[in-house]
Amino acid sequence: MKILMFGQAAYRFLPADFAQRYDSVCDTPYALVSKDGMYSSVRHFIDEMVFGARCGFDGVSLTEHGQSSYDVMPNPNVVAGSLAYLTETEDLPVAIYPMGRSLGKSREPVKVAEEYAMIDVMSGGRLIAGFPVGLSYDASINNGVPPIEVRGRFHENLELVLRAWRDQEPFAFNGKHVQYPQVNVWPRPLQEQPPVWLTGVGNPATMQLVLERGFGFNFFGFAGSRLTAQRIFPRFWELAEQSSMARNPYRVGFLQHVAVADTDAKAEQLYAKHIEYAFHTGLGAIPHEKLAVPGGIDIRGVQALLRDPSDFGMYWQMRSASLNDLIESGTVIVGSPATVRDQLTELCQQHSIGNLHAMLSFGSMPPEMAQGNIKLFADEVAPHLRGLWADSGFEHHWWPERLGGKPSGATAKAAKEEVSVS
Amino acid sequence: MTEVRQEKVDLWGGKLTVTVSVAGSGPPLLYLHQAAGLAWDPFLEHLAGTHTVYAPQFPGTTMGDPYSIHVIDNLSDMVLAYEELVRALGLENPVVVGQSFGGMLAAELAAFFPKLTDRLVLLAPLGLWRDDAPVTNLLAASAEQLPGILFHNPQVAAAAMAVPEDPETAVAATSQMVWSLGCAGKFIWPIPDRGLRDRLHRITSNTLIVWGGQDAFVPARYAADFADLIAHSKVAMIEQSGHLPQVEQFEQTAAAVDEFLS
Repeated sequence: MKILMFGQAAYRFLPADFAQRYDSVCDTPYALVSKDGMYSSVRHFIDEMVFGARCGFDGVSLTEHGQSSYDVMPNPNVVAGSLAYLTETEDLPVAIYPMGRSLGKSREPVKVAEEYAMIDVMSGGRLIAGFPVGLSYDASINNGVPPIEVRGRFHENLELVLRAWRDQEPFAFNGKHVQYPQVNVWPRPLQEQPPVWLTGVGNPATMQLVLERGFGFNFFGFAGSRLTAQRIFPRFWELAEQSSMARNPYRVGFLQHVAVADTDAKAEQLYAKHIEYAFHTGLGAIPHEKLAVPGGIDIRGVQALLRDPSDFGMYWQMRSASLNDLIESGTVIVGSPATVRDQLTELCQQHSIGNLHAMLSFGSMPPEMAQGNIKLFADEVAPHLRGLWADSGFEHHWWPERLGGKPSGATAKAAKEEVSVS
Repeated sequence: MTEVRQEKVDLWGGKLTVTVSVAGSGPPLLYLHQAAGLAWDPFLEHLAGTHTVYAPQFPGTTMGDPYSIHVIDNLSDMVLAYEELVRALGLENPVVVGQSFGGMLAAELAAFFPKLTDRLVLLAPLGLWRDDAPVTNLLAASAEQLPGILFHNPQVAAAAMAVPEDPETAVAATSQMVWSLGCAGKFIWPIPDRGLRDRLHRITSNTLIVWGGQDAFVPARYAADFADLIAHSKVAMIEQSGHLPQVEQFEQTAAAVDEFLS
């Protein structure tokens, strides 16, 4: 089991009535920000990622969001680059995992290929390359891509990036969305092909792509893992089974907010207001229409959502949800180390999750509290989870070789070979 | 009510099939609908009383054929496809009427092919942009905001935007409307300006520009821009109306169009 520390650079000093008055994306007034508040929000975020790396996490992971107050991260590679260098100088064996650059919005896909390659070089081959399609508001409003073109652009850009890493000779690229007379990136990644992961929200087409191409599959429990995991992961594993793919837990990643303290009662008391802040002013404050600009979701997906919006869990009520509802739905797992590891073990076992992204600093947490949560999780929870799949007989094909992964060239090839041995 | 029949027309080297609603009798009239899709409304019914109305459904907006939007990728090719459609239907000098997004297509068609029509009616067309009067971003609006963007009178809005009662019919209608907006978005997102301002001078048709005085989607200020740039044009400003004057003030709008066409 790989355990990564996941972080988002939330602005930590929003006013108490933020969720009632403002949205967290696109038109959030920057007048709410103080220079000191922005500096310390970003500084604390990076400090905590570094702290996580020093505490023995297997990797550090982060996302990309433009024009948002809950994740001030217009390009995750800026921070990933600093983490790559710093962990290299300290000889920390952690994966650097931007989840990462959205290819549905990118008008400069070769730049993405180059940035990732650079991070792989700077980290000495520890990059994990995440390629999300991109959130509707980010791709279309923040970046101006016509919604109906986002998915096509994603597919085209993904092929281009992988080819830019792979091909030894310069090539011309005549795409529908981008054209280049010559592609010949410097540097190329140190890894033959960095492990590739896609993050999905439940769309079977994305899952199918993951399986066909041998990528890893990520899902985020933001909207309540007790409501959504039981819908998304069985769907993924069923598709895997239909394609005669092994149920290798290492090809699945899951992101979970976790808040741990000495006792259950203390944890709830300690973190309550930061949990509410995180969800009320973050995901809960993204208006529905910003996640589904017309054309961004395939018409069959719109129909599926209209018939049953449950893939989005408790997102629909999140802006004003009570602490109890947030905890009950699993948006965050709160408690003593024993409580937290029991719940995480059950979740990972039930859904064959081999990569856990623990979000341990969130919302308005002050840095001391965040570091306390990170340290306690690293010392008292992670060691109990790490051996979860040790006896499964599966290899981790979606992890850098330098860190013990077995990518054996293209991950697709490795995953297919595994079918015969499982 | 006039019988409306559906004709399927193959275009673009056989790669694109467009469904055309046809009704009425008399000289030909090409009607290009707004972004949300074709609705056979009293205004079309009225036009069919004096003309043979041909109302093509924009690629992707025909129920059951959503992916034909992916056949054509740029606006100039779409305009060429519409010109092919006019020839395939055998329309000689049709009146061309376009509403909103359809108005932009109608203006493009007349600018690309000045001899295609000598009478053009533009109902609150998209296609221009002014920094001092920005077009509202309809596709980014919430469901709650839409009625106020499209209509002046809330009662008219409520009736026009009522969702079907049967749940499955509602799913089919809502998903198609959302997708249809997305299809238009291919040519109007993020800014509904693909350079039409530079082409309007090519239009030689007599042109009637109809606008709702209280249009909250495309401000009525744009009527003067179209009028200034199209040589033989005049404006009919319809008061107490939002973006769809033919729906909100049917009588006035029909009278203005009738007078222009007579």
